[in-house]
Amino acid sequence: MAVLPMQRISIYALKKNRKAILELMQRRGVVEVKKTDLEDTVFHRMDTSSAQSLFEKNKSAASQALEILDHHAPEKKGLLSMLDGRKEIPLESYQSDAQRIEDIMKKALYINSLQKEIAEDEAEALRLENQLEALNPWMALDITMRLKGTRTTAAFIGTVSGQRSEEDLLLTIADQAPELSGIHVEVISSDKQQTCLFALCRKESAQELENVLRGLGFARPATPSKTPPAQRKAELARRINDAYRRVAGREEEIKSLADCRKDFQFAVDYYAMRVEKYQVISDLAQSRHTFIVTGYIPERDAPSLEQELNGLFSVAVELEDPQEDEDVPVLLKNSRFAAPVEPVLESYSLPKRGEVDPSSVMAVFYYVFFGLMLSDAAYGLVMVIACGLVLHRKKSMEPGLRKSIQMFYYCGFTTIFWGVMFGSYFGDAVDVIASTFFHTELTIPPVWFIPVQEPMRLLAFSFLLGVVHLFVGLGMQLYQLCKARKYKDAVYDVIFWYLLVGGGIVFLLSMDMMKDMLGLGFVLPSTVGNIAAVCAGVGALGIIFTAGRDSRSPVKRLFKGLYGLYNISGYLSDILSYSRLLALGLATGVIASVFNQMGSMAGGGVVGAIVFTLVFVVGHTLNIAINLLGAYVHTNRLQYVEFFGKFYEGGGRKFNPFSVKTKYYKIREDH
Amino acid sequence: MDINNLGVGLALLGAALAALLAGIGSAIGVGIAGEAAAGVVTEDPGKFGKVLLLQLLPGTQGIYGLLIAFITLSNIGILGGSGDISFAKGLMYLFACLPLGFVGLWSAKRQARAAVASIGLVAKRPNQFGKALLFPAMVETYAVLALLVSLLAVINIGKLPI
Repeated sequence: MAVLPMQRISIYALKKNRKAILELMQRRGVVEVKKTDLEDTVFHRMDTSSAQSLFEKNKSAASQALEILDHHAPEKKGLLSMLDGRKEIPLESYQSDAQRIEDIMKKALYINSLQKEIAEDEAEALRLENQLEALNPWMALDITMRLKGTRTTAAFIGTVSGQRSEEDLLLTIADQAPELSGIHVEVISSDKQQTCLFALCRKESAQELENVLRGLGFARPATPSKTPPAQRKAELARRINDAYRRVAGREEEIKSLADCRKDFQFAVDYYAMRVEKYQVISDLAQSRHTFIVTGYIPERDAPSLEQELNGLFSVAVELEDPQEDEDVPVLLKNSRFAAPVEPVLESYSLPKRGEVDPSSVMAVFYYVFFGLMLSDAAYGLVMVIACGLVLHRKKSMEPGLRKSIQMFYYCGFTTIFWGVMFGSYFGDAVDVIASTFFHTELTIPPVWFIPVQEPMRLLAFSFLLGVVHLFVGLGMQLYQLCKARKYKDAVYDVIFWYLLVGGGIVFLLSMDMMKDMLGLGFVLPSTVGNIAAVCAGVGALGIIFTAGRDSRSPVKRLFKGLYGLYNISGYLSDILSYSRLLALGLATGVIASVFNQMGSMAGGGVVGAIVFTLVFVVGHTLNIAINLLGAYVHTNRLQYVEFFGKFYEGGGRKFNPFSVKTKYYKIREDH
Repeated sequence: MDINNLGVGLALLGAALAALLAGIGSAIGVGIAGEAAAGVVTEDPGKFGKVLLLQLLPGTQGIYGLLIAFITLSNIGILGGSGDISFAKGLMYLFACLPLGFVGLWSAKRQARAAVASIGLVAKRPNQFGKALLFPAMVETYAVLALLVSLLAVINIGKLPI
């Protein structure tokens, strides 16, 4: 259980070895490189931003090609494949693939250009289809739509609004322009919105006819076809067909390149690594022939890296302990039992410099509380089996995910434990099945007691666990203060609170009222109660006199002290907060019973059994899911708010080494 | 008419209120949070798992409501047994159900607002998921406390010699 000690490392080396040294460091991934602050006439930093942006561009081209491949030729994946980690490739194959990177990129760019052409063709086809659509009402017209007239006539081809027949139109024209004669009107097609018409008149009357038609909302078609519409339609259909054929051809071509998926994945990783490397290069101090790497390295990794570098290159490696005020990154190292809760700690905050790593203490309470909130032996077994299988099958899982699954694995065991204590196996499934289908009474007795029957007992137990949890938190504070040699603070801020809260609780327990309320089987003798009351009094007085010790003025001190004592209400609410252990524990069991009872409502027999199985599977899956979420959230809360509130500040920065941060592959080296 | 005939009706009213109010609260809450979650997923489908968890948080009140309603139904003999509940007991069941009903309704709505804010947080900073989960969980505390009060009352009323 600890925060790993860090050392400051400086590597002085020749520029000709820069590539080799940096690549070795990247593969080892144990050094966090710090931006150099050394800049003078000899040393300067190199600007690599243009190289970085080029690599970024290549990387996004490769991932774009991957996306296109996934779209046109999806990879077949198992349901659990998202749990698979990165694939390992040996160093040699990495190096040989790196030789081919230009070829790979050519193919990636080719796929991208194919996709672009596909998009263009699809847009073209869509445009033509729209034209075709617009042409449909004109099918009956057997001349060009662009006809404006002959030598002596004027022709109008276009639409007017509304549904109209030839008689309508002729009547309207006769009505509005009675002097017009010799007009021919033909309706090509007509629907509710518009009427397509062909009208012919003598050239002299063209203006008048147009005026009448305009009054009806006459408009010439937006894209009149040169050839007769039917012919034009065939032409359009052919072109649409062509466009789709070209699209299909290119899709086939993309599919035929599906084998390159691995290459593109490699390219994405390759460029990701190079971006990171060039980022680091820009952080280095470089002279004409030398360069300096500065950064942090965990103490345990320092000797091996030093040895390796010295063996391969002519370098000077310097290791120092960091200064007090330095911003040293944090890396945690915990036992197999405690490491799984590290992500939970991390999502709160990593310990700041000099703070203890609470993982291992937290782990114990985490597993216990989680189990108590879920508290069903069968649910726990489901968790253990599911997580165990995943852990066993998917060895290459990423460490963060692996830790989380391990956490649920361990939580499963405590869930089984509490389930056995409280006699809950899929709720009361055993009883219900026995009485519904076999007409017998069968109950698995609880090892301890049944919470629904004695909720006050479990409530008292929850408060007890809460007090232990809080006192351990205070104890951590005591440990930290003693380590920092702040013994006075330790007495004022921890011991007095122990006296006050501990004494207060013991005193309350010695009263008859609490005994009746919590249904305790014992009562403390009054002398114990009196001693406890004295302890609490001493604690309270101590807090009043010391809580305001930062202030000079005695009046202010007293008031601050009184305010400090008011914190007791905080302790009260903290302890009451643990009642959620009871509430969520009961909720799981009771909801499980609800589903069992619902399932048994169809009675015994074959139909009953089928109904029961259905309700059982669906109901309990739902119950596990919702209660896992509840247990997870509320266990986190108890740790973050109640426990960490007593001693933990956090604020550390995560150790972020210069390493191979790839998405698809990881490089294995054989030593 | 014997006033005690009203007992079972009052108790049933309590059970119905618990399921009704808490259920309505959760439905509203999960709905509000779901709208925000869907918005995030349109931008980044990879965040589905995280925002789904946040969406579900205001859903627990409805389940607590179901729980109280069910225990009440089973204690007053509606799910088999005699429905012989005195007027006083029926009234007690009704009052016992109220904390969860009201707190469930309000806390689910308020929790949903915190969940929406947290969904926004996760959209911008996915690595702060742990903290984002905690803000709505703070609101949940009061639903849990109300559940506890209702639960203790409903379980113990049956044992009273009234």
